[in-house]
Amino acid sequence: MNKRCILSVRDLHVVFRLRNRKLHALRGVNLDVYEGETIAIVGESGSGKSVLNKNFIGLLDNNGRITGGSIRYYPRIWEHLGREKDRGEDEQGEYVELAGLGRSKNWRGIRGGQVCMIPQDPMTSLNPLKTIGWQLTEALKLNRGLRGQQAYDEAIRLLEDVQIDNPEERYWQYPHEFSGGMRQRVVIAIAIACNPRILICDEPTTALDVTIQAQVLQLIREVKEKYGLTVIFITHDLGVVANVADRVAVMYAGEIVEIGRTEEVFFKPQHPYTWALLSSLPQLGTKGEDLLAIRGTPPNLFKEITGDAFAPRNPDAMLIEHLAEPPVFEVSPTHSARTWRLDPRAPESKPPRPIRKLKKLGGERDA
Amino acid sequence: MPEDNREVLLSVRDLRVAFGSRRHRFEAVKGVSFDIHKGETFGIVGESGSGKTTIGRAIIRVYPAAAGSVTFHGKQISGELSAADRHWVTDKIQMIFQDPMASLNERAKIDYIVSEGLLGRGLGKIEIRARVAQALRDVGLLPEFATRFPHEFSGGQRQRIGIARALVMNPELIIADEPISALDVSIRAQVLNLMRKLQQERGLTYLFISHDLSVMRFICDRIAVVHKGEIVELADTETLFRRPLHPYTQALLSAIPIPNPVMERQKVLKVYDPSCHHYEGDPPVFTEVEENHFLLANYEELAKLQGRWA
Repeated sequence: MNKRCILSVRDLHVVFRLRNRKLHALRGVNLDVYEGETIAIVGESGSGKSVLNKNFIGLLDNNGRITGGSIRYYPRIWEHLGREKDRGEDEQGEYVELAGLGRSKNWRGIRGGQVCMIPQDPMTSLNPLKTIGWQLTEALKLNRGLRGQQAYDEAIRLLEDVQIDNPEERYWQYPHEFSGGMRQRVVIAIAIACNPRILICDEPTTALDVTIQAQVLQLIREVKEKYGLTVIFITHDLGVVANVADRVAVMYAGEIVEIGRTEEVFFKPQHPYTWALLSSLPQLGTKGEDLLAIRGTPPNLFKEITGDAFAPRNPDAMLIEHLAEPPVFEVSPTHSARTWRLDPRAPESKPPRPIRKLKKLGGERDA
Repeated sequence: MPEDNREVLLSVRDLRVAFGSRRHRFEAVKGVSFDIHKGETFGIVGESGSGKTTIGRAIIRVYPAAAGSVTFHGKQISGELSAADRHWVTDKIQMIFQDPMASLNERAKIDYIVSEGLLGRGLGKIEIRARVAQALRDVGLLPEFATRFPHEFSGGQRQRIGIARALVMNPELIIADEPISALDVSIRAQVLNLMRKLQQERGLTYLFISHDLSVMRFICDRIAVVHKGEIVELADTETLFRRPLHPYTQALLSAIPIPNPVMERQKVLKVYDPSCHHYEGDPPVFTEVEENHFLLANYEELAKLQGRWA
């Protein structure tokens, strides 16, 4: 893969201060996002997947702070991005350092213009007092300087793009006149109105029905193709990921424990946590048998974590997993995982049955 | 599975539920009929607005039935009931709700939340406490949790509390309205396993309401597909998945996310368009097209189907 890197995260640490205690939400995240791909970030609630993404648009909560690491964004055009001291150049090209931007005002030009986000719940992300048209043209005004008839025409075109029937009529309607799926389409229209390069979708379909979910996922795929976007897709449901993602990163307790191409993560998963996530899907369960549920709860990030964060919940954890933090092992040039299982000294361990079932499916395709 | 000689626990006949006054009358449920057998898990699947939740709530008497009847153990439970019969219904039929964040009283302790149904039934304090403790243990929580407030629990634990609240009444039928939709995938598995375990131990019957067919396939014995207040198809789970006949069922099935990137990319999404039916002059009837497989179709569609099978 010699694609151009668009976003590069190196050893990112984020700490929240809560009632005078420190919550270590991100514990050294490394991630490269390439231009034009769809990368899915999967994890349970509290794994840090949303916190990671909030860093990309400068919406970290006030009590949160980046305590280490860097986020480099490689823009296409240089102007108006960040302050002089935030810019630099490395072997990948010219970049803007997002980790140091801090205050809101420095984010202008990047947030919206370069990176956009589709929030989870379309019921709460639209203003109920303004018409859909008003909300769409607001984005066009602020980000692209369109006014009057021009803005109206563009808004209608965008509504057509997200497959809303009768856009001229819908333009004057309020959010309550739209169904959940339609509202999410409007939110997508507003996001692409800013002409961003990166689109972050934060669980865009969890509040929706399965049928609508499938349609919205398809729409995101189409919009991505049409506008040449890079999509970062956050979800807790690995079932959804297979549909949209080129690559999958699995997050647990503030770090990425496994990352690889979608086929690799689904058919040859390495980390016990990825195994557990996959085997808890009812689609892979055998009727009349228990699903393989993950025991316990995610670790308390107020405390220092020793060893592999997943070890306490892993019934087959080796002693070393409780004691020392595993390094990143490369499985293939595109696939790596952070688990002692991959150490050459580790004994052979067998993934649970649903995983082997999946693997068989994948093996047939590979051959 | 021998279906026919199984005892019918709950029987719904031509149930209609309507909202609003005469001028703005909206019929949310337009005459549904089904039986639930003792010990089975019966699923109702449909999109939001299809009326699936309304059916469940009409059974438990939250909404009055506008027409039709609901019988439980052969006794009618819709319409006017005596106080004793009402108590009997609430004892025997219980409900688990969708959002564990919203369905527990934030200001009450777990002890009260779980025991509320037992109050006013002439039970002593000690017995109530014992039953609450037992219910909490049954769902895998510690009896000590009874003195805590809901905000101290995670989503999965809260849903367990919701289940304990239903269990404490010793019900025979539990109506589970999207019990896992609001939970993380990993927690879903825990709750599903718990529900299955309780069913085996106590011989519970479930009416499971959801929009997600992938979960339904895993836990339901029979599934009814609801569209706009009508059951369009009803069959054994495996029959429904192998031979979906109604175009709406086919659309629902095509929307299930498959955790397999290769299959998922080849998948063709079907969208249901109600205009594919020609029901003017030839209204659809709910017909048994093969054993235990019911379909809402008109004469023309049935003839076509027969032609395909012959």
